[in-house]
This record gives sequence, structure tokens and C-alpha cells, in this order.
Amino acid sequence: MSETKIIDARDTFCPGPLMELIMYMKQASVGDELELLSTDKGSAADIPEWIKKVGHDMVSIEKIEETWHLKVRKAK
Amino acid sequence: MTTQTETPPTTTVNNDDLQRLVEFAQLVTSAQDAMSDDIVTRLARVMNEGVTLLDRLTRNEGLMTLLRVLDQPESQRLLVGLAEALRETSRDIATTAPAKGSLIELVRAVFHPGTQEGIRILTFLGQHLNHSLREQHRLGS
Amino acid sequence: MRILVVGGGTAGTIVANNLARRLAAETRSGKVRLTMLSASDRHMYQPGLLYVAFGQMTPDQLYRDQASLLEASIDFHVDPVKQFQLDQHKVVTESGKVHEYDILVIATGSRMVPEETPGLNEGAEFFYTEASAVKMYKRLREFQGGRVAVAVGVPHKCPIAPVEVMFALHDFFKARGIRDKVQLKYYYPIGRIHTIENVAIWAKPEFDRLGIEYETLFNIKEVDAKNKILKSEEGIDVEYDLLVVIPAHRGMEVVERDKLGQGGWIPTNRHSLKMNGHDNVYVVGDTTNLPVSKTGSAAHFQAEVISENIASIIKVGEPVRDYDGKVYCFIEAGHDRATYAMFNYLNPPDLKPPSKPMHWFKVAYNQMYWTSVRGLL
Repeated sequence: MSETKIIDARDTFCPGPLMELIMYMKQASVGDELELLSTDKGSAADIPEWIKKVGHDMVSIEKIEETWHLKVRKAK
Repeated sequence: MTTQTETPPTTTVNNDDLQRLVEFAQLVTSAQDAMSDDIVTRLARVMNEGVTLLDRLTRNEGLMTLLRVLDQPESQRLLVGLAEALRETSRDIATTAPAKGSLIELVRAVFHPGTQEGIRILTFLGQHLNHSLREQHRLGS
Repeated sequence: MRILVVGGGTAGTIVANNLARRLAAETRSGKVRLTMLSASDRHMYQPGLLYVAFGQMTPDQLYRDQASLLEASIDFHVDPVKQFQLDQHKVVTESGKVHEYDILVIATGSRMVPEETPGLNEGAEFFYTEASAVKMYKRLREFQGGRVAVAVGVPHKCPIAPVEVMFALHDFFKARGIRDKVQLKYYYPIGRIHTIENVAIWAKPEFDRLGIEYETLFNIKEVDAKNKILKSEEGIDVEYDLLVVIPAHRGMEVVERDKLGQGGWIPTNRHSLKMNGHDNVYVVGDTTNLPVSKTGSAAHFQAEVISENIASIIKVGEPVRDYDGKVYCFIEAGHDRATYAMFNYLNPPDLKPPSKPMHWFKVAYNQMYWTSVRGLL
């Protein structure tokens, strides 16, 4: 049973958001979904690349007002 | 009156000036080449220790007061007097036989004008030093 | 008015000395008491560690006696804090003494924590402590050729170090005449080769020019020291002959133990530098959670703001300045040339081409540092 965990990395700066994501991904189980909130532009670009490199799923990227919502799923 | 606009004066680049500029640039380059990390380190260290020392000295109230007092003419006379006294004393000691330590010699010394002058000047010094110290304590510094 | 400074590194020393100078009259009359607590009787010039790792400085040149750097009016004790009791405005030290304060300045710094990554201590070289820097120099001297991998954990102090160590490695092996036998590869955790964008833009062509390879989005997971394999979170295995790592850092244990901040990073207001939720506690240097580089220069500029504000609060009741995020970092770019990165919260750095005079400025600064921690520069 997968669940969406929300990681609020708003107002933290590069490389903060990516690091937070990596930390939570390590703890998550396969199939889990994580949603990262970030106000950092660099991370919004890095995270999809990182997800691709590692082989997880990039579910969606949305920008609502000043915050990016990045939904990822642990694929392995 | 002329309606022509004045032509600007001709500027000539003096060959001498160019030569000087080139030599100056060469000087800078050779200085740069001569510089090494060690030279810069040593220079910087000495300069910084110097700055630190100056800072400490200038914030030393006692030392600064001493300097101010020493600047005054009376103090200058005392300093010169002290310097000359040191020189003469050194000569006198060299040419005077050592004391034998007897009571008669002591009595003779007491009646010697030089001794009495010496005691007098020490008295003055002691008096004023004492007074200044007590004043400072009283004022709570 | 009791002011307590905890931490005798760059930040703490500058705050204490600046306060002593600004409040000279008040300390003389007893209106203000300045106390400093430190874990060590020595003060280390940390940027010198990189020089030690390359044999350009000996360890003794890194240290000065802490007491000799402090103004006479500062009551200095080598007695680190064991527990912070902020709600009671006091701290308890290792020796059991209790220090009550009216104003507290926390300047406890940061430390590398390689032990948190499996195999890192056994397999990698570091230069963030004296012992590890000396060990690294010996390894570098005996190295005859092969694959040198340099990897970076986050966060770490001195953001420029990863780039500088690459240039230093290149120069070192070139001077030894074995550069052609060495493969230099750089591994960085985010999507570009440096967290500061303009530094990444500047460094990339430099790396290309010097034949330094690089891989981004590489996050260290563990090291198989026996087989000399560096493994990443991304599933990549790197075989190496010599591994140099800039490990992730944390704040001091006491900060984490007393729950002052996650990871040892204390939540700090980015302008006033006050600890969030505590009006009489200031945080300065590496141990803040500010999005500023953890460097001596940031510590210096923050320290100036804090000491000016504390002094003005005592004298006129109001602070006068805000910290604008200023950082100034030298970048040794190899071949006796250097440049620098100066930036703040609003303006990114604008890197000039490296030059010899800038390198000498850095060399001179190695000495000027001691004058600056005295509060003179």
C-alpha cells in the first residue's frame, strides 16, 4: 500500500531540497510516492534529472505560485 | 573674430615617453617575477605583527601619557640630563676604587655633597611619584 | 550586563574582540562583562589545512595561542559547554561550572562526520583536520599514478574547497612529473559542478583545459575500502586508486543533543542573526542554518554585524545593522594564480580571471588572518 509523503523544503536552498529528497527516498519503500515542495529554482531542474539518473519515476511537476510541487515515485 | 572652430593642438607621442612606459612595464614585470610566496608571506607577517603592535601600543593609556609627558621641554631636559649622567657615572665608576665597606667611609659619604644631591633628587622623584599614584587611586582608575 | 561567547573559532573570536573594543569603557567600569568559552586553548587557521595536505605549510604554522589573540578584558576559559539552558539564560560547562548570561553568542562551528558514511573513514583521504591533512600529504607523496577520485558530501564548510583541491592536485602531480600518469575525476552531488552557479560556469572550462574529468548528480552512498570502490546513491560504482573526499558536516554534538537545531544547524534570522525564538541569543558562523556558505569570511562579516548591534543595543538601546549575506572567498586556481568570489543574498559572484597579484593577496591574507581575528582588520 503506497502513501504520498510530503517533504516541505520551501525556503531551503540548493542543495537542500535535493538532499532532503535523497534522504527520504532512502527511507521510503518501493512504490511509495513523495511530494517535494521547493522554492528553489535550481532544485526544480536538478531533481527530475536526478530521478531520471537513478531510475525512479517522475510523476509530475507543477508550479503553484512561488512553489514547485515535485511528485516522485520510488521505482526500485 | 573667426567663425572657424579652432583645430585642437596636435598631440605628439614622444618616443621618449613611450620608452619610459615600456621600461616601467618591464620593471613591474621583473618585480612580479622576483616575488615569491615566501617573500610575500614574510613581508605580510612582519607588516601584520607591526600593525598589531602599533594597535596595542596606541591603546596603552600609560604609554601614550608617558609619550605626551616626555614631549614637554622639562622632560626633555630630564632625559638629556639622565643620558649625560649615565655617561659620566660610567666614567666615574671606572676610575674610582671600590668601596672598602668601613663605617668611616660611610660617614664621609654622608657628608659628601654628591650624596646629598643624590638623596635630594631621589626625594623629589619619590614625592612626586607617590603623589601621582595616590591621586590616581583616589580618582578610581 | 553579562555577554557570553561560546566558541573560540573565527566567528567567536572576532565577536568577542570587536565587543571588547567597542565596549572598552563599559568593560573597564564593570558595566559589561565579557566571557568566552572554548574547547581549545589554541586557535587554528583552517584554510591552512589545504596547504598542509599539499606540503606547503607545516601543521605548527596553523595555530596560535587563543589567549594571545584576545583583548585583555575578555574572561577566557578553556571549558566547553556541556549543556545549553536557554530558557534559564545559562549554560553548564564540562567542568560543571554554570555561566549565566544576559546576551549569548553561539559560535560553535561545524565538523566533518565521515563516520556517517560506511567505509569512508577506511577508504578515503580528507583534509579537514590536522591529522587527516598530514596523512593525505603522505599518501599524495607516495602516489605513483592511477585514478584519483574526488567526491563531495553536503553540506560542508568552505564551498570553494572542492574546486581548489582539483587545481592543487593537478599542480602537485604536474610538479612531480606524473600528471600524465594520473586520471583526475571530480564527483559532485547536484546537477552542475558547483553549488554557486557562477563558480560552476567559471570552473567548467578550467577543468576542461586542465584535463580534469567530472560527473555531476553523484551522491556518496558508501565506500568499499578493501576493493577501492566508491558507490553512489544513483547506483554508480567508481573504482579508484586514491580517493579524496570532502565529507558531509554537522554542527557540534552539544547543539544537536540540546535540540537547538536539526543537524546541529541553529535556526537563525538571516538579517538580525538572532536565534529564532530567542531575543537575547545570537548565532554566528558555521552553526547557523542560513543559506550562506559556511566560510570564515561569512563568519567575519556576520561577527561584525552582531558585535556592532550588541554594542549599540547596550549604548543606545537599538541595533543598527543587518547582515546582507556577504561572503568573500579566495579561489586558488592553480599555477600561482587566484581569483575570488564575492556575493551576498541579492547578488551572485562575478568571477574575474585568475591573476598572480590575487594569489599574493591570498598568501598575504594567510598572515592578515591573525590581525583580522584580533578585530583590527
